Amino acid sequence: MGVFTIYPILYSGYLSLHAWDGLTAAKPFVGFDNYVRLASSGVLGRSIWVTLYYAAGVTVGGLLLGLVAAVLIHWVGRGAAVYRSIYFLPAITATVAVAVVWKLLLDPGSGYVNTVLRSLGIIGPSWLRSPVWAMPAVIVVGVWKRLGFNTVVYLAGLQTIPHSIYEAAEVDGASRWNLFRRISVPMLAPTTLLLAIMSVIDSFMVFDQVFIMTGGGPIGHTEVLGLLLYKLAFRYLDLGGASAVGWVMFALIAGISLVQWRLSGSGSRGVGL
Amino acid sequence: MFGITRNRLALVLSAALLLGACATGAGNTTTSGATTTAATAPSTTAAPATTAPATTAPAAAEPITLTFWNYWDGKNGEVLNQLAEQYTSEHPGVTIESVFVGWGDLLPKLQTAVAGGDTPDIAAGDLVWMPKLTRTGILVPLDEYIQAAGVDLGDFYPEMLRVGQYQGHTYSLPVSTNNLELFYNKELFSKAGLDPDTPPTSWSELSDMAAQCTDPSSGVSGLELFTEPGEGLTWQFQVYLWQAGGQFLSDDLTKAAFNSPAGEKALNFWVDEIDNGSAPVAPWGQFGQGKACMVMDGSWMVGIWSSDPPFDFGTAQMPYPSNGQPATNMGGEQIFLFPSDAARQQAAFDFVSWLTGTDAQITWDSETGFGPVRKSVAASDAFVSHVRNSEPRMLPFIENQKYAHSRPPIANYPEVSDAFSEQIERALLGESTPQQALAAAEAAVNKLLGGS
Repeated sequence: MGVFTIYPILYSGYLSLHAWDGLTAAKPFVGFDNYVRLASSGVLGRSIWVTLYYAAGVTVGGLLLGLVAAVLIHWVGRGAAVYRSIYFLPAITATVAVAVVWKLLLDPGSGYVNTVLRSLGIIGPSWLRSPVWAMPAVIVVGVWKRLGFNTVVYLAGLQTIPHSIYEAAEVDGASRWNLFRRISVPMLAPTTLLLAIMSVIDSFMVFDQVFIMTGGGPIGHTEVLGLLLYKLAFRYLDLGGASAVGWVMFALIAGISLVQWRLSGSGSRGVGL
Repeated sequence: MFGITRNRLALVLSAALLLGACATGAGNTTTSGATTTAATAPSTTAAPATTAPATTAPAAAEPITLTFWNYWDGKNGEVLNQLAEQYTSEHPGVTIESVFVGWGDLLPKLQTAVAGGDTPDIAAGDLVWMPKLTRTGILVPLDEYIQAAGVDLGDFYPEMLRVGQYQGHTYSLPVSTNNLELFYNKELFSKAGLDPDTPPTSWSELSDMAAQCTDPSSGVSGLELFTEPGEGLTWQFQVYLWQAGGQFLSDDLTKAAFNSPAGEKALNFWVDEIDNGSAPVAPWGQFGQGKACMVMDGSWMVGIWSSDPPFDFGTAQMPYPSNGQPATNMGGEQIFLFPSDAARQQAAFDFVSWLTGTDAQITWDSETGFGPVRKSVAASDAFVSHVRNSEPRMLPFIENQKYAHSRPPIANYPEVSDAFSEQIERALLGESTPQQALAAAEAAVNKLLGGS
């Protein structure tokens, strides 16, 4: 634990203050130059923005759809286990395989999506190479992959809500929508908070899916922080800069998690999983 | 799994732990599983060994096994293993252990190896890495070995040799090469009413045929251009730039030279092909899926498709403008050594010298589809007639090797390439005019060159 986790984290902090290509013996100390250089060139800011866009899309989309799916499965009751398994499959499928398949589906020439559109007389866009569509396409895959996990956790959350509450509300003549809106949603708030935090943390660390689908393009529109870090470390051999990006990621995630915590104000309520 | 408690620290710490793997760059080490930050500072790299090699090839007193890292797999890997076995049978006691490392993993793996003091004896890597590697001080200078063994450097193409040289020393030798020429889909040509035996020879023919071959109703485009960000775009665009008579950087490699009439001509050609619908801004690979009639691609694709072609394809010299000149871009691998004791280094160099020698190179090129790195190989009747009989689609690549330019040998070439490609992408997507894109690329590249 100490050797393989704590030490590398501290060492990357040390590296972020030095200039090093990972090969030469010398590691000159450069202070905060790596941070300043990345910030002033604009790439860091752009990457942060792109990552926030992705995280917001996957988190909001994944939570909404996950909640809807969970409620439907919960109310259907019969065959819940089957649905749960189907929804959960993408979550345990290798991201690389998922990304490759989606890339094939979205290919402008031979992809299934545009082939269907062509049969309807529509010439579809070049999804993954379009400044407008590339990020939404990546987000859709992110949501698709996350949906099953969110659904299963929401289902667990729904099962902790006592039936007596619903029964009491039904006696008072509450509609299904109101049961959902006034009971399920607020009672699930701690679950939502947990899922939101996990989703944001995961989204901030997204890499392989974007790497395969877009490579960060077009014009950096999908260059998330993980991709920037990879590019600096392994293409430019700039380990100082890459470590600096890692620490910026850490600061952002810690900050966002604390804000979510404060806003929700429900940090005291435990959620057993 | 876990429950949320009041303990914020636990959460932040767990985020930090998740990030730790990310921040230390343990992205994709496939074999060692080690991260790039090792506990020990590199100590074996302080000074390259400069012990004078023995002038006679030593008969290995005890058996030596030399580790050789490279990213040759499939057919290339098989041929390499055959050559390694042949070497062992001719040099008893010396075994070559070839270790496959993916293209994207080789540099990170070398970083780990250097940090851990566990480098291979020999490695072969992409020639664009060499300007960086030759400056790190971790490679063995080969000058004395070359002199002692009497290797004729003049037989190598000078552009390929230059890549591995720094401050008057030679650190690597060319071991394989490839270049870019035109591929065209004969089936799509016939379908569009074009003659499948008459590929285009000029930019205007290329443009006309691409337009005629484009069929939006079946998702077929006439010409595939490399529009994805990064080195792929840069190295393809450079060919058009050179064909139009331009240069990428100034002769002294200190500033950008592509913002010129030739650069505009090349970029206008690309943008026009996209605007008139002949070329899509699409993920790379349309041609291979049978969705593009023509593409400029590397000789390695002939090797990959040779035994089981996805469709009937032809190759030809890449068309160039009527008042321009033929050009292509040189790719390939260089082979280099890491410090060890004198006997091992000598044994390793002997193998490198043999593998880059004319005889082994003829076998290597004939079997793999790599281009010749030596003039004597290109001039060998045995080699050329073998190619003509076995895979004539390789001929345009071999014949046009003489028009191959190399990318500028600067240490931060990957950054320069990315900065350039990002601005060109803007022009391809219509977010800036070709003139604006070239000017912006020039500013970005000059900033990198000034700051390196």
